[in-house]
Amino acid sequence: MRKALSWLGFTFGLPVILIFLWWLATTISPSFFFPPPGEILVTFFETWFGPRLWLDVLPSILRFGIGVIIAMVLGVVIGVIVGLNRDLRALTEPTFEFFRALPAPVLIPPLLLLIGPNDAMKIFIIVLAAIWPVLLNTVEGVRAADSVQNETSRSYGIHGFSRVRYQVLPGAAPQIMAGIRQCLPIGLILMVISEMFNTTAGLGFAIIQFQRTFAIPEMWSGILVLGLLGYGVAVVFRFFERRVLRWYHGLKDLENAS
Amino acid sequence: MLPDASAPLNTVSHGRTLPEGETLLSVRGLQKIYETDGGPIEAVRDLTFDLGKNELTCLVGPSGSGKTTLLKCIAGLLTPTSGEVILDGKTVTAPPKKMAVVFQEYGRSLFPWLRVAENVELPLKNQGVPKDKRATLVAEALDNVGLAHVPQSYPWQLSGGMQQRVAIARAIAYQPEVLLMDEPFAAVDAQTRADLEDLVRKVRAELGISVLFVTHDIDESVYLGNRVIMLSSSPTVVQEDLIVDLPDERDQLETRSLPRFTELRHHVYEQIQRAKKGFRPDDALAQ
Repeated sequence: MRKALSWLGFTFGLPVILIFLWWLATTISPSFFFPPPGEILVTFFETWFGPRLWLDVLPSILRFGIGVIIAMVLGVVIGVIVGLNRDLRALTEPTFEFFRALPAPVLIPPLLLLIGPNDAMKIFIIVLAAIWPVLLNTVEGVRAADSVQNETSRSYGIHGFSRVRYQVLPGAAPQIMAGIRQCLPIGLILMVISEMFNTTAGLGFAIIQFQRTFAIPEMWSGILVLGLLGYGVAVVFRFFERRVLRWYHGLKDLENAS
Repeated sequence: MLPDASAPLNTVSHGRTLPEGETLLSVRGLQKIYETDGGPIEAVRDLTFDLGKNELTCLVGPSGSGKTTLLKCIAGLLTPTSGEVILDGKTVTAPPKKMAVVFQEYGRSLFPWLRVAENVELPLKNQGVPKDKRATLVAEALDNVGLAHVPQSYPWQLSGGMQQRVAIARAIAYQPEVLLMDEPFAAVDAQTRADLEDLVRKVRAELGISVLFVTHDIDESVYLGNRVIMLSSSPTVVQEDLIVDLPDERDQLETRSLPRFTELRHHVYEQIQRAKKGFRPDDALAQ
């Protein structure tokens, strides 16, 4: 009971305080641009649990999901191939660093011209931005494979694809997961930004439209949807990460304890 | 100086060679030169010796004497600059199926994401051994090393000595003819070490495999081996090849208190001291 209470306190304490402060500020000095939290909450349910759920929210989430999954798969596959090959690493490293440093949103205008204002373009820009942390972390994780583990694999005749499957990938998993953790918010950002250009649907589009039509509580409620979405993605990620890296966390806990 | 029963076996700077048919593993004129930025470094100059069937041979030498280099060449993990390693009549060019290696760094050699039984099973799984056969081999191997009770633990949850037992179980489940061990007990405490030494002797005798055991510990080499090959300092040649004529039944207390054990230990110790001081049998021969 005590434990449950303290968990509740730690988890919801700060959000409750922040909402209270917001409420206090909007009560003391009401402003058209900053509606009180109660109003945002009511608008939140009215706005998003209707046709907009199907027209704006779910398509956005779908594009985000597809884009991020493609980015992860491609990032890991290319990362393993590059990470295992020293020449390929030297060859690709400067280019990869260039693309990673390039802010992906600037590619939206040219891609709009090239691909057109459709789902494919939006997914493409998510992949293009989200792939780099996965790819570069995978390269690094694979490259740093433990030399004794490598020799163990070799001496037991584990090579080629089997070595990737049984040794290289699991060994690089902590680093790969770190890359995936970074790629998720990037994907979410690009999901929103890609919907702010030349489109008629999606979360990003809806928020911009609310702002332009001075539907201020709706605008705020859209931002709330995005925040909750990002939080949900992080929770799902943490669930999978805990399962995939159970051994790693156990090992680290033990090392820290000693 | 040396009592007759263990007279030096062969010509200077070479180890014992055996007639064909008795040999399991031959090392012939093995040389390894590393190419480094600072120029070539000759780690191993010229090593020749044979490993017979059903033997436990210890390789002992001063630190930096190329023991690990030699072992990796034998294991097919390093390509010698010249000379060759022959296992069962075939030149070793890559890690052979009939060989298993136990590394010193058990913590890095066992895969931390696999449980104990899975670690032991992995090489068999990779070879496509059927599942029920695998289960039997894994259970037997774990039983052999006294770890039948922890198959579901992760290796890092176990003590150092137990982890090295897992590595030994993995090696014997692979059913090798030759087991190579590279200073396997250098990182465990003395008590555990004594237990593991007896374990190696027991397992070797039961399974009838040959073991090549690299160590820097002189006592260990005499206690464990049927034979001790002493290496010179680098660039390495064979300093001496010595038969250990102690009774087959070894006991940490009894054997170590035998006068003969002390004599052999004394002799090996002297040889290693000479090697450390730079005495080289090949130079002695040249003079």
